[in-house]
Amino acid sequence: MFDIVGHKFRYFLISGVLILIGVISLATVGLRAGIEFSSGSMMRVGFEQEVSQEELRQELTSLGYASAIVQRTVGGDYYIRTGELTGEDKAQLVAALETQFGELNESEFYSVSPMVATETARNAAIAVAVAAVGILLYITWAFRKMPSPLRYGTCAVIALVHDALITLGIFSILGGIFGWEVNLMFITGILAVIGYSVNNTVVVFDRIRETLRRGASTDFEAVVNDSLVSTLSRSLNTTLTTLIVVLALLLFVGSSIQNFAVALLIGGIVGTYSSIFVAGPLLVVWEKGEWGGFLPRRSRAVSTKG
Amino acid sequence: MTRRNLTTFIIILLLFAAAVYSLVQPVFGREDLRLGLDLVGGVHLVYQAEFPEGATAEEKAQNMERALATIQSRIDKYGIAEPVIQQQGDDRILVQLPGFTDIEEAKRLVEQTGFLEFRQAELNDDGNPVYLGDYLDSAELKFFDETEPGSRIFVDAANSPVAILVSDGEGNLSFTDGKGNPVSIEELRQATEEMEAGSAVLLSWIPARGDDGTQLTGSFLAMAAPGIINQTTGVEAEVDIEWTEEGGIIFDQIASRLYNAGAYGTPQRALGIFLDNTLLSYPQILQPAYDGKGAITGNFTVEEVERLANLLESGALPMPLQKPPLYEETVSATLGGDFVEKSIMAGVVGIMLVMLFMIVYYRLPGALASLSLIFYGVLVLAIFKLIPVTMTLAGIGGFVLSIGMAVDANVLIFERMKEEMRAGRTLGAAVEAGSSRAWTAIRDSNLTTFIVCGILYWLGSSVVASAPVMGFALTLFVGVAVSMFTAVIVTRTLLRLFVGTAWAKRTSLFSVYTGRE
Repeated sequence: MFDIVGHKFRYFLISGVLILIGVISLATVGLRAGIEFSSGSMMRVGFEQEVSQEELRQELTSLGYASAIVQRTVGGDYYIRTGELTGEDKAQLVAALETQFGELNESEFYSVSPMVATETARNAAIAVAVAAVGILLYITWAFRKMPSPLRYGTCAVIALVHDALITLGIFSILGGIFGWEVNLMFITGILAVIGYSVNNTVVVFDRIRETLRRGASTDFEAVVNDSLVSTLSRSLNTTLTTLIVVLALLLFVGSSIQNFAVALLIGGIVGTYSSIFVAGPLLVVWEKGEWGGFLPRRSRAVSTKG
Repeated sequence: MTRRNLTTFIIILLLFAAAVYSLVQPVFGREDLRLGLDLVGGVHLVYQAEFPEGATAEEKAQNMERALATIQSRIDKYGIAEPVIQQQGDDRILVQLPGFTDIEEAKRLVEQTGFLEFRQAELNDDGNPVYLGDYLDSAELKFFDETEPGSRIFVDAANSPVAILVSDGEGNLSFTDGKGNPVSIEELRQATEEMEAGSAVLLSWIPARGDDGTQLTGSFLAMAAPGIINQTTGVEAEVDIEWTEEGGIIFDQIASRLYNAGAYGTPQRALGIFLDNTLLSYPQILQPAYDGKGAITGNFTVEEVERLANLLESGALPMPLQKPPLYEETVSATLGGDFVEKSIMAGVVGIMLVMLFMIVYYRLPGALASLSLIFYGVLVLAIFKLIPVTMTLAGIGGFVLSIGMAVDANVLIFERMKEEMRAGRTLGAAVEAGSSRAWTAIRDSNLTTFIVCGILYWLGSSVVASAPVMGFALTLFVGVAVSMFTAVIVTRTLLRLFVGTAWAKRTSLFSVYTGRE
């Protein structure tokens, strides 16, 4: 039988390091906000003839769009992001690009006003906050017959914050490398990850509830470990089937929902990890009051780093 | 096999048949799934309505309702299928036009106020026409024709408004430009000096009113239709109009007054036709009465005439819309079509890999779960078609994701069954114990997904009605809800069919001991 709970501080350390890396990246590299959150216009164009990213950027600079952001898609199209364009600005820009590079095909265009961007960013923050509080309340309610149900809710929320932080952190690193932006679909992906992660956590908690009720053991640590191990193959299999379909989405559909699928992919893996190695073990720490366990481990982590 | 289980099995088969039927046959006049903008291409716009200061909530609500009806009418007359025209919040209007990708035309169609009014030349005390220069030169800014309290519009050679002179109701006059922004007399002097070198006349146009003081506007139109006349010089396009009874009377009162005001060809005898402060044309009044009919002429193309007739027929917006729109989005149809193929591919590959995994890992129950997964896919698609749920790229993402999650309930039950069978129970007992014990976990864990779907739907619909986000939330919700039914009831019913048969004793079919140390 695996001893997951016994090695809990080792797993917490892994999570801690990942969160730390993520937070550092978020603080330094940050997240690149998409136009939905920061306003502006974006169009997708494909050229009949081969046009390099550098040529396109130079042409945009000479047209007065020096701050335009150019991104190449897998299919060889370009996303050109500029400040908010009026219909005339856009027509002129397209005409100028056609004169320079020959025929082009404009397949997508988005324009977001500052007002809408501010509201969308605000509502996305509200949505994430409401999701966290809603889940805390729901799990506390679902485990209301257990002693101290609030602990279950809190541990589930800690696990989901853990998942969201790591996913955001990894995305910030990827964003720094590939120029990916955080858009509304990415936030949707994060929320889906939160739902998925809690889904897994609830299955584990449900097993703990059942094992406790059966009264097989009075040792909470053994009960939690037993529940984690017996739900392990279920957790892994479910994650596997979900990751299969997410990968299929990412590989076949790509570009437009890339951010969304990547969020699901990272979040799916991290969420499974946290529901096994974070949420359950945290319950044990809380039950036994082993908070001191974090301190020596933390200092050791720092010393190994230094 | 119990009789009850057989009945459930037959019901499931019938449901499956009904789902397949509704997918291949048109239902409620619907051939296929409804596809969203990102899949068929189209335009998505969100506008901010500009109400005058001090408008009450009730007035706003009424005007919003009228504006939606007006836009709906314009779009319907234009012939765009299945448009979505909705109010967002208190003072925003959302327009989605699937399959229509000309964003500039779409914007013109929606945002043009369409306020048609008739004006005549302002005359001074001597009966001579007044020009902008007269106002700019006068020592004190006051109306020459003090009987007319309405605005004065001055247009340039291209018939666009140069300035509008308005009164605040207490005798204080001020100039604004065509968009309503204030302009100083100094600025106007400079502008007119440049213009008068050209051919601009800058006549002062005042509202044309009936004898009782009612201004003649587009709201008195009973009908507007494009009229095409073939002349020897080419095609002449105009909009034929018919007045309502009241409008006809007012028009004839104005016509007879103008007819007697001056000689043919003078400004005194011209009737200015204005649309949203732009002069369309200024025909001469040729007869003192027109009997309720007329035509709006101008230098129109056939296309412009069709657009104008549509605009007039639909009526004016009760308030202007802020330009540019708060949000615009266009996706071309070719890109969308590409996505449909790709996402179908992703769905098919995803579902097949999941089935393969389930069969390899769980053997017979896995195969049964795969059958219920097919049932799940068909049932969910049928529900999407019947509601109907608009399928977007992200919506398909939600559906594909729900395939992965749909097997979750099966996995929970099968893992439970294996434990029971290892403990020495028969298949029948293991199926019952497995499904009942797994139920609380399935219920509680899926409820968290529902909570998230609800929040996501709110987020998606809150600002610009983001079709991808709403689509994802809706498809994931429907998917997870249906999966609770198919995974638990369908798979259990299928498994029960094997209870008591010789197959049930072959533990290798149930992979009881695999995955165990």
